[in-house]
Amino acid sequence: MLTIKDLHASVGEKEILKGINLQVNAGEVHAIMGPNGSGKSTLASVIAGRETFTVTSGEIIYKGRDITSLSPEERSWAGIFLGFQYPIEIPGVTNVNFIKTAVNEQRKQKGLPALSAAEFLKLMREKMAYVEMDSSFSGRGVNVGFSGGEKKRNEIFQMAMLEPELSILDETDSGLDVDALRIVATGVNKMRTPQNATIVITHYQRLLDYIVPDFIHVLYKGRIIHTAGKELALEIEKRGYDWLINE
Amino acid sequence: MDANQFIYVPDLSAEDEFRCRVLLPDNLQQYIINGNVRGGKTPFELNLGRGERMEKSLQIIGVRNAACKGELSFEETFRFGPGSSGRIISCSHTLTPDEFSTRERMVINLEEGANAEFFVMQNEHNKARHDLRCDISLAEGASLRMVFISLHGGEINNEINVDLNGPHADCDLSGLYLTDTGQKMSNSVQLRHLVPDCHSNQLFKGILNDDGVSKFYGGILVAPDAQHTEAFQANHNLLLSDSSRAYSKPQLEIYADDVKCSHGATVGRLDEEELFYMRTRGITADEARLLQQMAFAYEVLERITSSELRERVLSLVEGRLRGDFASCKGCTKNCC
Repeated sequence: MLTIKDLHASVGEKEILKGINLQVNAGEVHAIMGPNGSGKSTLASVIAGRETFTVTSGEIIYKGRDITSLSPEERSWAGIFLGFQYPIEIPGVTNVNFIKTAVNEQRKQKGLPALSAAEFLKLMREKMAYVEMDSSFSGRGVNVGFSGGEKKRNEIFQMAMLEPELSILDETDSGLDVDALRIVATGVNKMRTPQNATIVITHYQRLLDYIVPDFIHVLYKGRIIHTAGKELALEIEKRGYDWLINE
Repeated sequence: MDANQFIYVPDLSAEDEFRCRVLLPDNLQQYIINGNVRGGKTPFELNLGRGERMEKSLQIIGVRNAACKGELSFEETFRFGPGSSGRIISCSHTLTPDEFSTRERMVINLEEGANAEFFVMQNEHNKARHDLRCDISLAEGASLRMVFISLHGGEINNEINVDLNGPHADCDLSGLYLTDTGQKMSNSVQLRHLVPDCHSNQLFKGILNDDGVSKFYGGILVAPDAQHTEAFQANHNLLLSDSSRAYSKPQLEIYADDVKCSHGATVGRLDEEELFYMRTRGITADEARLLQQMAFAYEVLERITSSELRERVLSLVEGRLRGDFASCKGCTKNCC
Protein backbone atom coordinates (compact mmCIF):
# COMPACT_ATOMS: atom_id res chain seq x y z
CA MET A 1 0.00 0.00 0.00
CA LEU A 2 2.73 2.45 1.03
CA THR A 3 6.37 2.31 0.05
CA ILE A 4 8.71 5.03 1.17
CA LYS A 5 12.10 5.02 -0.53
CA ASP A 6 15.09 6.98 0.72
CA LEU A 7 12.92 9.95 1.69
CA HIS A 8 14.69 13.20 2.52
CA ALA A 9 12.73 16.25 3.66
CA SER A 10 13.69 19.61 5.05
CA VAL A 11 12.21 22.75 6.43
CA GLY A 12 14.13 25.72 5.14
CA GLU A 13 17.81 24.75 5.19
CA LYS A 14 17.38 22.16 7.87
CA GLU A 15 17.13 18.53 6.83
CA ILE A 16 14.84 16.59 9.14
CA LEU A 17 14.21 13.32 7.34
CA LYS A 18 17.49 11.82 6.18
CA GLY A 19 16.63 8.76 4.16
CA ILE A 20 13.50 6.99 5.40
CA ASN A 21 12.63 3.56 4.03
CA LEU A 22 9.31 2.02 5.02
CA GLN A 23 6.98 -0.59 3.60
CA VAL A 24 3.37 -0.78 4.84
CA ASN A 25 1.01 -3.41 3.46
CA ALA A 26 -2.79 -3.58 3.64
CA GLY A 27 -4.00 -5.05 6.91
CA GLU A 28 -0.89 -4.06 8.87
CA VAL A 29 -0.39 -1.80 11.86
CA HIS A 30 2.99 -0.10 12.15
CA ALA A 31 4.17 1.81 15.18
CA ILE A 32 6.80 4.49 14.92
CA MET A 33 8.64 5.35 18.13
CA GLY A 34 11.64 7.45 18.91
CA PRO A 35 12.92 10.20 21.15
CA ASN A 36 11.72 13.81 20.86
CA GLY A 37 12.92 15.61 17.77
CA SER A 38 13.68 12.43 15.86
CA GLY A 39 11.35 13.40 12.99
CA LYS A 40 8.23 11.32 13.76
CA SER A 41 5.70 14.13 13.34
CA THR A 42 7.57 15.43 10.31
CA LEU A 43 7.27 12.04 8.66
CA ALA A 44 3.52 12.01 9.35
CA SER A 45 3.13 15.55 7.96
CA VAL A 46 5.20 14.81 4.87
CA ILE A 47 3.10 11.75 4.03
CA ALA A 48 -0.03 13.90 4.43
CA GLY A 49 1.40 16.59 2.15
CA ARG A 50 2.26 19.45 4.42
CA GLU A 51 3.78 22.22 2.30
CA THR A 52 6.00 23.57 5.09
CA PHE A 53 8.34 20.66 4.36
CA THR A 54 10.19 20.19 1.12
CA VAL A 55 10.84 16.70 -0.12
CA THR A 56 14.38 17.03 -1.43
CA SER A 57 14.75 13.45 -2.65
CA GLY A 58 13.18 10.04 -2.47
CA GLU A 59 9.70 8.74 -3.18
CA ILE A 60 6.42 8.11 -1.40
CA ILE A 61 4.62 5.45 -3.40
CA TYR A 62 1.00 5.01 -2.35
CA LYS A 63 -1.12 2.43 -4.15
CA GLY A 64 1.31 2.33 -7.01
CA ARG A 65 1.92 6.01 -7.64
CA ASP A 66 4.32 8.62 -6.35
CA ILE A 67 2.27 11.10 -4.34
CA THR A 68 5.02 13.58 -3.44
CA SER A 69 3.62 16.22 -5.81
CA LEU A 70 -0.01 15.82 -4.68
CA SER A 71 -1.79 18.40 -2.50
CA PRO A 72 -3.01 17.41 0.98
CA GLU A 73 -6.62 17.23 -0.27
CA GLU A 74 -5.65 14.98 -3.19
CA ARG A 75 -3.92 12.63 -0.77
CA SER A 76 -7.01 12.65 1.41
CA TRP A 77 -9.20 11.77 -1.57
CA ALA A 78 -6.81 8.92 -2.32
CA GLY A 79 -7.52 7.54 1.17
CA ILE A 80 -4.80 8.96 3.42
CA PHE A 81 -5.79 10.34 6.81
CA LEU A 82 -3.65 12.19 9.34
CA GLY A 83 -4.78 12.29 12.96
CA PHE A 84 -3.14 15.37 14.45
CA GLN A 85 -1.05 15.44 17.60
CA TYR A 86 -2.54 18.85 18.33
CA PRO A 87 -5.91 19.04 16.56
CA ILE A 88 -6.57 22.56 15.30
CA GLU A 89 -9.35 24.67 16.72
CA ILE A 90 -11.47 26.40 14.11
CA PRO A 91 -13.81 28.88 15.78
CA GLY A 92 -16.95 29.63 13.80
CA VAL A 93 -16.92 26.42 11.76
CA THR A 94 -19.18 23.90 13.46
CA ASN A 95 -18.05 20.32 13.78
CA VAL A 96 -21.05 19.12 11.80
CA ASN A 97 -20.54 21.61 8.99
CA PHE A 98 -16.85 20.79 8.84
CA ILE A 99 -17.23 17.04 8.60
CA LYS A 100 -20.17 17.35 6.20
CA THR A 101 -18.09 19.53 3.86
CA ALA A 102 -15.27 16.99 4.08
CA VAL A 103 -17.46 13.92 3.51
CA ASN A 104 -19.29 15.48 0.58
CA GLU A 105 -16.03 16.66 -1.00
CA GLN A 106 -14.72 13.08 -0.78
CA ARG A 107 -17.94 11.80 -2.35
CA LYS A 108 -17.76 14.40 -5.10
CA GLN A 109 -14.26 13.23 -5.98
CA LYS A 110 -15.51 9.65 -6.19
CA GLY A 111 -18.39 10.74 -8.44
CA LEU A 112 -20.97 10.07 -5.72
CA PRO A 113 -23.87 12.42 -4.94
CA ALA A 114 -23.82 14.43 -1.68
CA LEU A 115 -25.47 12.67 1.25
CA SER A 116 -28.97 13.81 2.15
CA ALA A 117 -29.40 15.44 5.55
CA ALA A 118 -31.01 12.28 6.93
CA GLU A 119 -28.33 9.95 5.54
CA PHE A 120 -25.61 12.20 6.88
CA LEU A 121 -27.13 12.36 10.37
CA LYS A 122 -27.51 8.61 10.51
CA LEU A 123 -23.89 8.09 9.47
CA MET A 124 -22.71 10.68 11.96
CA ARG A 125 -24.62 9.14 14.87
CA GLU A 126 -23.24 5.73 14.05
CA LYS A 127 -19.63 6.98 13.90
CA MET A 128 -19.91 9.17 16.97
CA ALA A 129 -20.86 6.05 18.89
CA TYR A 130 -17.47 4.54 17.93
CA VAL A 131 -15.75 7.04 20.19
CA GLU A 132 -18.59 7.59 22.68
CA MET A 133 -19.06 11.21 21.60
CA ASP A 134 -22.41 12.74 22.33
CA SER A 135 -24.34 14.85 19.88
CA SER A 136 -23.66 18.09 21.76
CA PHE A 137 -20.27 18.17 20.01
CA SER A 138 -21.72 18.53 16.56
CA GLY A 139 -22.97 22.09 16.97
CA ARG A 140 -19.77 23.37 18.55
CA GLY A 141 -16.87 24.99 16.71
CA VAL A 142 -14.34 22.42 15.50
CA ASN A 143 -12.31 21.46 18.60
CA VAL A 144 -13.13 24.78 20.27
CA GLY A 145 -13.23 24.35 24.02
CA PHE A 146 -12.72 20.60 23.68
CA SER A 147 -10.58 18.91 26.32
CA GLY A 148 -7.45 17.06 25.19
CA GLY A 149 -9.33 13.77 25.21
CA GLU A 150 -12.31 15.19 23.35
CA LYS A 151 -10.05 16.55 20.61
CA LYS A 152 -8.47 13.14 20.09
CA ARG A 153 -11.86 11.45 20.04
CA ASN A 154 -12.92 13.99 17.46
CA GLU A 155 -9.93 12.99 15.32
CA ILE A 156 -10.96 9.35 15.45
CA PHE A 157 -14.56 10.32 14.73
CA GLN A 158 -13.43 12.19 11.61
CA MET A 159 -11.36 9.18 10.62
CA ALA A 160 -14.42 6.96 11.00
CA MET A 161 -16.47 9.33 8.85
CA LEU A 162 -13.87 9.48 6.07
CA GLU A 163 -13.06 5.72 6.09
CA PRO A 164 -9.44 6.10 4.98
CA GLU A 165 -7.30 3.24 3.70
CA LEU A 166 -4.11 4.53 5.31
CA SER A 167 -4.42 6.25 8.68
CA ILE A 168 -1.49 7.96 10.32
CA LEU A 169 -2.14 8.72 13.97
CA ASP A 170 0.35 11.21 15.32
CA GLU A 171 0.66 10.79 19.09
CA THR A 172 -3.03 10.17 19.43
CA ASP A 173 -2.34 8.92 22.95
CA SER A 174 -0.66 12.07 24.24
CA GLY A 175 -2.70 13.87 26.86
CA LEU A 176 -5.16 11.03 27.30
CA ASP A 177 -6.19 9.43 30.57
CA VAL A 178 -6.72 5.67 30.68
CA ASP A 179 -10.43 5.83 29.88
CA ALA A 180 -9.98 8.18 26.93
CA LEU A 181 -7.12 6.03 25.69
CA ARG A 182 -9.32 2.94 25.77
CA ILE A 183 -12.12 4.76 23.92
CA VAL A 184 -9.79 6.06 21.23
CA ALA A 185 -8.03 2.71 20.80
CA THR A 186 -11.34 0.83 20.64
CA GLY A 187 -12.49 3.24 17.92
CA VAL A 188 -9.33 2.60 15.91
CA ASN A 189 -9.59 -1.18 16.34
CA LYS A 190 -13.22 -1.20 15.16
CA MET A 191 -12.07 0.29 11.88
CA ARG A 192 -9.33 -2.26 11.23
CA THR A 193 -9.92 -4.38 8.16
CA PRO A 194 -7.65 -6.49 5.94
CA GLN A 195 -7.91 -3.71 3.35
CA ASN A 196 -6.63 -0.80 5.39
CA ALA A 197 -3.46 0.02 7.25
CA THR A 198 -2.51 2.18 10.21
CA ILE A 199 0.67 3.94 11.22
CA VAL A 200 0.70 4.83 14.90
CA ILE A 201 3.22 7.34 16.14
CA THR A 202 3.74 7.17 19.86
CA HIS A 203 6.12 7.79 22.70
CA TYR A 204 4.75 5.15 24.99
CA GLN A 205 4.25 1.45 24.99
CA ARG A 206 0.88 2.05 26.73
CA LEU A 207 -1.08 2.72 23.50
CA LEU A 208 0.40 -0.40 21.91
CA ASP A 209 -1.28 -2.53 24.58
CA TYR A 210 -4.55 -1.47 22.98
CA ILE A 211 -3.59 -1.08 19.34
CA VAL A 212 -1.30 -4.02 18.78
CA PRO A 213 1.24 -3.35 16.02
CA ASP A 214 2.72 -5.82 13.59
CA PHE A 215 5.95 -3.83 13.38
CA ILE A 216 7.68 -1.24 15.51
CA HIS A 217 10.16 1.14 13.94
CA VAL A 218 12.51 3.36 15.89
CA LEU A 219 13.20 6.71 14.32
CA TYR A 220 16.31 8.62 15.34
CA LYS A 221 17.76 11.73 13.73
CA GLY A 222 15.64 11.35 10.64
CA ARG A 223 16.38 7.68 10.00
CA ILE A 224 14.75 4.40 10.96
CA ILE A 225 17.49 2.75 13.00
CA HIS A 226 15.68 -0.37 14.13
CA THR A 227 12.62 -2.44 13.19
CA ALA A 228 11.17 -5.30 15.20
CA GLY A 229 7.90 -6.88 16.32
CA LYS A 230 5.53 -5.71 19.05
CA GLU A 231 7.80 -7.00 21.83
CA LEU A 232 10.20 -4.13 21.14
CA ALA A 233 7.85 -1.66 22.85
CA LEU A 234 8.27 -3.34 26.21
CA GLU A 235 11.99 -3.36 25.86
CA ILE A 236 12.05 0.34 25.03
CA GLU A 237 9.81 1.00 28.01
CA LYS A 238 12.41 -0.70 30.24
CA ARG A 239 15.66 0.33 28.65
CA GLY A 240 14.92 3.55 26.77
CA TYR A 241 16.41 4.30 23.37
CA ASP A 242 20.07 4.60 24.25
CA TRP A 243 20.96 0.96 23.64
CA LEU A 244 19.47 1.22 20.13
CA ILE A 245 21.18 4.49 19.38
CA ASN A 246 24.53 3.11 20.54
CA GLU A 247 24.21 -0.03 18.45
CA MET B 1 -38.07 55.71 -11.93
CA ASP B 2 -38.05 58.86 -9.88
CA ALA B 3 -34.76 60.35 -8.74
CA ASN B 4 -34.91 59.54 -5.05
CA GLN B 5 -36.31 56.18 -5.17
CA PHE B 6 -37.38 54.42 -2.05
CA ILE B 7 -39.24 51.22 -1.96
CA TYR B 8 -40.83 50.57 1.37
CA VAL B 9 -41.95 47.05 1.83
CA PRO B 10 -43.40 45.68 5.05
CA ASP B 11 -41.69 42.35 5.30
CA LEU B 12 -39.02 40.23 3.68
CA SER B 13 -41.66 38.39 1.71
CA ALA B 14 -43.27 41.66 0.60
CA GLU B 15 -46.56 39.82 0.40
CA ASP B 16 -48.39 41.14 3.42
CA GLU B 17 -50.11 44.39 4.10
CA PHE B 18 -48.01 47.01 5.80
CA ARG B 19 -48.93 47.08 9.45
CA CYS B 20 -46.87 49.58 11.38
CA ARG B 21 -47.73 53.25 11.39
CA VAL B 22 -45.49 55.11 9.01
CA LEU B 23 -46.17 58.78 8.48
CA LEU B 24 -45.72 59.51 4.85
CA PRO B 25 -46.26 62.83 3.17
CA ASP B 26 -49.66 63.01 1.48
CA ASN B 27 -48.31 63.25 -2.02
CA LEU B 28 -46.80 59.81 -1.64
CA GLN B 29 -49.92 58.00 -0.60
CA GLN B 30 -50.84 57.38 -4.19
CA TYR B 31 -47.81 55.14 -4.53
CA ILE B 32 -49.10 52.58 -2.09
CA ILE B 33 -49.75 49.51 -4.14
CA ASN B 34 -50.42 46.17 -2.52
CA GLY B 35 -48.57 47.24 0.57
CA ASN B 36 -45.53 48.53 -1.32
CA VAL B 37 -44.85 52.22 -1.04
CA ARG B 38 -42.69 54.12 -3.47
CA GLY B 39 -41.76 57.66 -2.77
CA GLY B 40 -40.04 60.79 -3.92
CA LYS B 41 -37.92 63.48 -2.39
CA THR B 42 -39.62 64.11 0.92
CA PRO B 43 -37.78 62.77 3.97
CA PHE B 44 -38.94 59.51 5.35
CA GLU B 45 -40.15 59.51 8.91
CA LEU B 46 -41.19 56.72 11.17
CA ASN B 47 -42.88 57.53 14.47
CA LEU B 48 -43.79 54.86 16.93
CA GLY B 49 -46.01 55.93 19.83
CA ARG B 50 -45.76 54.91 23.46
CA GLY B 51 -45.70 51.16 23.82
CA GLU B 52 -46.26 50.59 20.14
CA ARG B 53 -44.76 47.43 18.74
CA MET B 54 -44.05 46.87 15.09
CA GLU B 55 -45.36 43.42 14.40
CA LYS B 56 -43.23 43.01 11.33
CA SER B 57 -39.88 44.25 10.17
CA LEU B 58 -39.91 47.34 8.04
CA GLN B 59 -37.61 47.06 5.07
CA ILE B 60 -36.46 50.16 3.31
CA ILE B 61 -34.79 49.52 0.01
CA GLY B 62 -32.88 52.27 -1.71
CA VAL B 63 -32.26 51.57 -5.36
CA ARG B 64 -30.24 53.66 -7.75
CA ASN B 65 -30.02 53.14 -11.46
CA ALA B 66 -28.84 54.88 -14.62
CA ALA B 67 -31.92 57.12 -14.68
CA CYS B 68 -30.55 59.03 -11.71
CA LYS B 69 -26.79 59.36 -11.82
CA GLY B 70 -24.66 61.73 -9.79
CA GLU B 71 -25.40 63.00 -6.33
CA LEU B 72 -28.33 62.24 -4.12
CA SER B 73 -28.99 63.23 -0.53
CA PHE B 74 -31.75 62.11 1.72
CA GLU B 75 -32.65 61.74 5.33
CA GLU B 76 -34.64 59.25 7.34
CA THR B 77 -35.91 59.80 10.86
CA PHE B 78 -36.90 57.03 13.23
CA ARG B 79 -38.56 57.94 16.50
CA PHE B 80 -39.26 55.17 18.90
CA GLY B 81 -41.60 56.38 21.64
CA PRO B 82 -41.31 55.17 25.25
CA GLY B 83 -41.45 51.38 25.49
CA SER B 84 -41.98 50.92 21.75
CA SER B 85 -40.13 48.36 19.69
CA GLY B 86 -39.41 47.43 16.12
CA ARG B 87 -36.97 46.15 13.56
CA ILE B 88 -35.78 48.13 10.54
CA ILE B 89 -33.97 46.68 7.56
CA SER B 90 -32.30 49.18 5.27
CA CYS B 91 -30.65 48.08 2.03
CA SER B 92 -28.92 50.25 -0.54
CA HIS B 93 -28.32 49.02 -4.04
CA THR B 94 -27.09 50.25 -7.35
CA LEU B 95 -28.48 48.48 -10.38
CA THR B 96 -25.96 49.81 -12.88
CA PRO B 97 -22.20 50.39 -12.68
CA ASP B 98 -22.51 54.17 -13.11
CA GLU B 99 -21.05 56.94 -10.99
CA PHE B 100 -23.30 57.51 -8.02
CA SER B 101 -22.84 59.50 -4.89
CA THR B 102 -25.34 58.89 -2.14
CA ARG B 103 -25.48 60.90 1.05
CA GLU B 104 -27.75 59.38 3.58
CA ARG B 105 -28.52 60.50 7.07
CA MET B 106 -30.37 58.36 9.54
CA VAL B 107 -31.62 59.98 12.69
CA ILE B 108 -32.54 57.43 15.31
CA ASN B 109 -34.13 58.46 18.54
CA LEU B 110 -35.01 55.91 21.19
CA GLU B 111 -37.04 57.17 24.12
CA GLU B 112 -37.30 55.55 27.57
CA GLY B 113 -37.29 51.78 27.40
CA ALA B 114 -37.61 51.63 23.62
CA ASN B 115 -36.08 48.65 21.90
CA ALA B 116 -34.93 48.76 18.29
CA GLU B 117 -32.95 46.67 15.93
CA PHE B 118 -31.46 48.02 12.71
CA PHE B 119 -29.90 46.09 9.91
CA VAL B 120 -28.12 48.23 7.34
CA MET B 121 -26.69 46.77 4.16
CA GLN B 122 -24.83 48.39 1.31
CA ASN B 123 -24.45 46.50 -1.94
CA GLU B 124 -23.31 48.83 -4.67
CA HIS B 125 -21.10 48.84 -7.74
CA ASN B 126 -17.47 49.92 -7.88
CA LYS B 127 -18.07 53.48 -9.03
CA ALA B 128 -20.65 54.17 -6.37
CA ARG B 129 -19.89 56.17 -3.27
CA HIS B 130 -22.11 55.99 -0.24
CA ASP B 131 -21.77 58.25 2.78
CA LEU B 132 -24.00 57.23 5.62
CA ARG B 133 -24.24 59.25 8.76
CA CYS B 134 -26.21 57.95 11.70
CA ASP B 135 -27.10 60.26 14.55
CA ILE B 136 -28.41 58.19 17.37
CA SER B 137 -29.63 58.94 20.84
CA LEU B 138 -30.80 56.57 23.53
CA ALA B 139 -32.81 57.55 26.60
CA GLU B 140 -33.02 55.69 29.91
CA GLY B 141 -33.29 51.92 29.56
CA ALA B 142 -33.43 52.07 25.77
CA SER B 143 -31.76 49.32 23.83
CA LEU B 144 -30.41 49.45 20.29
CA ARG B 145 -28.82 46.72 18.26
CA MET B 146 -27.42 47.72 14.91
CA VAL B 147 -25.63 45.62 12.31
CA PHE B 148 -23.89 47.18 9.30
CA ILE B 149 -22.99 44.99 6.36
CA SER B 150 -20.91 46.72 3.71
CA LEU B 151 -21.09 43.94 1.20
CA HIS B 152 -19.84 45.67 -1.90
CA GLY B 153 -19.20 49.23 -3.00
CA GLY B 154 -16.64 51.60 -4.50
CA GLU B 155 -16.43 53.77 -1.44
CA ILE B 156 -18.49 53.41 1.68
CA ASN B 157 -18.18 55.70 4.67
CA ASN B 158 -20.28 54.94 7.68
CA GLU B 159 -20.21 57.57 10.38
CA ILE B 160 -22.02 56.47 13.49
CA ASN B 161 -22.60 58.89 16.34
CA VAL B 162 -24.29 57.59 19.44
CA ASP B 163 -25.24 59.47 22.58
CA LEU B 164 -26.26 57.44 25.58
CA ASN B 165 -28.38 60.00 27.40
CA GLY B 166 -30.17 57.97 30.05
CA PRO B 167 -28.94 55.41 32.57
CA HIS B 168 -29.14 51.72 31.65
CA ALA B 169 -29.17 52.44 27.95
CA ASP B 170 -27.61 49.64 25.93
CA CYS B 171 -26.11 49.97 22.48
CA ASP B 172 -24.67 47.12 20.45
CA LEU B 173 -23.00 48.06 17.16
CA SER B 174 -21.44 45.59 14.79
CA GLY B 175 -20.25 45.67 11.24
CA LEU B 176 -18.76 43.57 8.50
CA TYR B 177 -17.00 45.08 5.53
CA LEU B 178 -15.71 43.25 2.49
CA THR B 179 -13.41 45.00 0.07
CA ASP B 180 -11.53 44.06 -3.05
CA THR B 181 -10.12 45.81 -6.11
CA GLY B 182 -10.04 49.55 -5.60
CA GLN B 183 -12.71 49.53 -2.91
CA LYS B 184 -12.54 51.69 0.18
CA MET B 185 -14.65 51.23 3.26
CA SER B 186 -14.59 53.11 6.47
CA ASN B 187 -16.49 52.92 9.73
CA SER B 188 -16.15 55.76 12.11
CA VAL B 189 -17.83 55.45 15.47
CA GLN B 190 -18.21 58.11 18.11
CA LEU B 191 -19.95 56.60 21.07
CA ARG B 192 -20.56 58.85 24.06
CA HIS B 193 -21.43 57.57 27.49
CA LEU B 194 -22.89 60.73 29.01
CA VAL B 195 -24.59 59.24 32.07
CA PRO B 196 -23.85 56.39 34.50
CA ASP B 197 -24.77 52.71 34.17
CA CYS B 198 -24.84 52.35 30.41
CA HIS B 199 -23.49 49.51 28.33
CA SER B 200 -22.06 49.57 24.83
CA ASN B 201 -20.40 47.10 22.56
CA GLN B 202 -18.72 47.53 19.18
CA LEU B 203 -17.55 44.73 16.95
CA PHE B 204 -16.34 45.57 13.45
CA LYS B 205 -14.69 43.02 11.20
CA GLY B 206 -13.32 43.27 7.70
CA ILE B 207 -12.11 40.91 5.00
CA LEU B 208 -9.87 42.66 2.50
CA ASN B 209 -8.68 41.38 -0.82
CA ASP B 210 -6.68 42.79 -3.77
CA ASP B 211 -5.87 46.43 -3.04
CA GLY B 212 -8.94 47.04 -0.91
CA VAL B 213 -8.55 49.54 1.92
CA SER B 214 -10.47 49.82 5.15
CA LYS B 215 -10.45 52.26 7.98
CA PHE B 216 -11.90 51.90 11.40
CA TYR B 217 -12.05 54.71 13.85
CA GLY B 218 -13.58 53.82 17.17
CA GLY B 219 -14.12 56.65 19.57
CA ILE B 220 -15.51 56.06 23.03
CA LEU B 221 -16.09 58.93 25.39
CA VAL B 222 -16.96 58.34 29.02
CA ALA B 223 -18.15 61.56 30.65
CA PRO B 224 -16.85 62.50 34.14
CA ASP B 225 -19.88 61.27 36.05
CA ALA B 226 -20.71 58.31 33.80
CA GLN B 227 -19.72 55.79 36.48
CA HIS B 228 -20.32 52.06 36.03
CA THR B 229 -19.97 52.44 32.31
CA GLU B 230 -19.27 49.25 30.41
CA ALA B 231 -17.87 49.93 26.96
CA PHE B 232 -16.24 47.33 24.77
CA GLN B 233 -14.78 47.63 21.33
CA ALA B 234 -13.09 45.28 18.88
CA ASN B 235 -11.92 45.64 15.31
CA HIS B 236 -10.50 42.65 13.47
CA ASN B 237 -9.23 42.52 9.92
CA LEU B 238 -8.37 39.65 7.66
CA LEU B 239 -6.02 40.47 4.81
CA LEU B 240 -6.21 38.07 1.88
CA SER B 241 -3.64 39.83 -0.26
CA ASP B 242 -0.32 41.61 0.10
CA SER B 243 -1.63 44.89 -1.26
CA SER B 244 -4.76 45.22 0.88
CA ARG B 245 -4.55 47.61 3.79
CA ALA B 246 -6.50 47.96 7.02
CA TYR B 247 -6.17 50.97 9.26
CA SER B 248 -7.53 50.79 12.75
CA LYS B 249 -7.65 53.52 15.32
CA PRO B 250 -9.33 53.00 18.65
CA GLN B 251 -9.62 56.16 20.71
CA LEU B 252 -10.87 56.02 24.26
CA GLU B 253 -11.40 59.09 26.36
CA ILE B 254 -12.38 58.13 29.85
CA TYR B 255 -13.10 60.75 32.49
CA ALA B 256 -14.86 58.55 35.05
CA ASP B 257 -12.93 56.22 37.35
CA ASP B 258 -15.31 53.34 38.01
CA VAL B 259 -15.72 51.90 34.54
CA LYS B 260 -15.08 48.75 32.55
CA CYS B 261 -13.72 49.50 29.11
CA SER B 262 -11.74 47.49 26.61
CA HIS B 263 -10.61 47.75 23.05
CA GLY B 264 -8.69 45.54 20.69
CA ALA B 265 -7.61 45.71 17.09
CA THR B 266 -6.00 43.03 14.98
CA VAL B 267 -4.85 42.65 11.41
CA GLY B 268 -4.06 39.13 10.32
CA ARG B 269 -4.04 36.52 7.61
CA LEU B 270 -5.71 33.17 7.16
CA ASP B 271 -4.26 30.60 9.52
CA GLU B 272 -2.03 28.12 7.67
CA GLU B 273 -2.44 25.44 10.36
CA GLU B 274 -6.21 25.57 9.99
CA LEU B 275 -5.87 25.37 6.22
CA PHE B 276 -3.65 22.30 6.35
CA TYR B 277 -5.95 20.64 8.87
CA MET B 278 -8.99 21.14 6.66
CA ARG B 279 -7.15 20.01 3.54
CA THR B 280 -6.06 16.74 5.16
CA ARG B 281 -9.78 16.04 5.50
CA GLY B 282 -10.21 16.45 1.75
CA ILE B 283 -11.56 19.98 1.78
CA THR B 284 -9.99 21.86 -1.16
CA ALA B 285 -7.73 24.81 -0.43
CA ASP B 286 -10.27 27.24 -1.93
CA GLU B 287 -13.14 25.80 0.03
CA ALA B 288 -11.06 25.76 3.22
CA ARG B 289 -10.23 29.45 2.75
CA LEU B 290 -13.89 30.20 2.22
CA LEU B 291 -14.84 28.30 5.38
CA GLN B 292 -12.28 30.32 7.32
CA GLN B 293 -13.63 33.59 5.96
CA MET B 294 -17.21 32.61 6.71
CA ALA B 295 -16.17 31.65 10.22
CA PHE B 296 -14.50 35.04 10.61
CA ALA B 297 -17.61 36.84 9.33
CA TYR B 298 -20.00 34.75 11.37
CA GLU B 299 -19.23 36.50 14.62
CA VAL B 300 -20.84 39.61 13.16
CA LEU B 301 -23.61 37.82 11.28
CA GLU B 302 -24.75 35.99 14.40
CA ARG B 303 -25.71 39.35 15.86
CA ILE B 304 -28.63 39.44 13.44
CA THR B 305 -31.42 38.11 15.61
CA SER B 306 -33.90 37.25 12.87
CA SER B 307 -32.89 33.81 11.66
CA GLU B 308 -34.59 34.35 8.30
CA LEU B 309 -32.63 37.52 7.69
CA ARG B 310 -29.42 35.98 9.04
CA GLU B 311 -29.65 33.02 6.66
CA ARG B 312 -30.22 35.36 3.75
CA VAL B 313 -27.27 37.56 4.67
CA LEU B 314 -25.09 34.48 5.18
CA SER B 315 -25.75 33.37 1.64
CA LEU B 316 -25.14 36.91 0.32
CA VAL B 317 -21.81 37.08 2.14
CA GLU B 318 -20.85 33.62 0.92
CA GLY B 319 -21.73 34.58 -2.65
CA ARG B 320 -19.71 37.74 -2.28
CA LEU B 321 -16.68 35.88 -0.93
CA ARG B 322 -16.97 33.43 -3.81
CA GLY B 323 -16.61 36.42 -6.09
CA ASP B 324 -20.17 37.10 -7.19
CA PHE B 325 -21.75 40.52 -7.11
CA ALA B 326 -24.37 39.25 -4.75
CA SER B 327 -27.97 40.04 -5.44
CA CYS B 328 -30.90 39.80 -3.09
CA LYS B 329 -32.69 36.95 -4.80
CA GLY B 330 -36.27 36.70 -3.68
CA CYS B 331 -36.00 39.87 -1.63
CA THR B 332 -38.61 41.79 -3.55
CA LYS B 333 -39.78 41.79 -7.11
CA ASN B 334 -38.87 45.44 -7.39
CA CYS B 335 -35.21 45.01 -6.63
CA CYS B 336 -32.12 43.40 -8.10
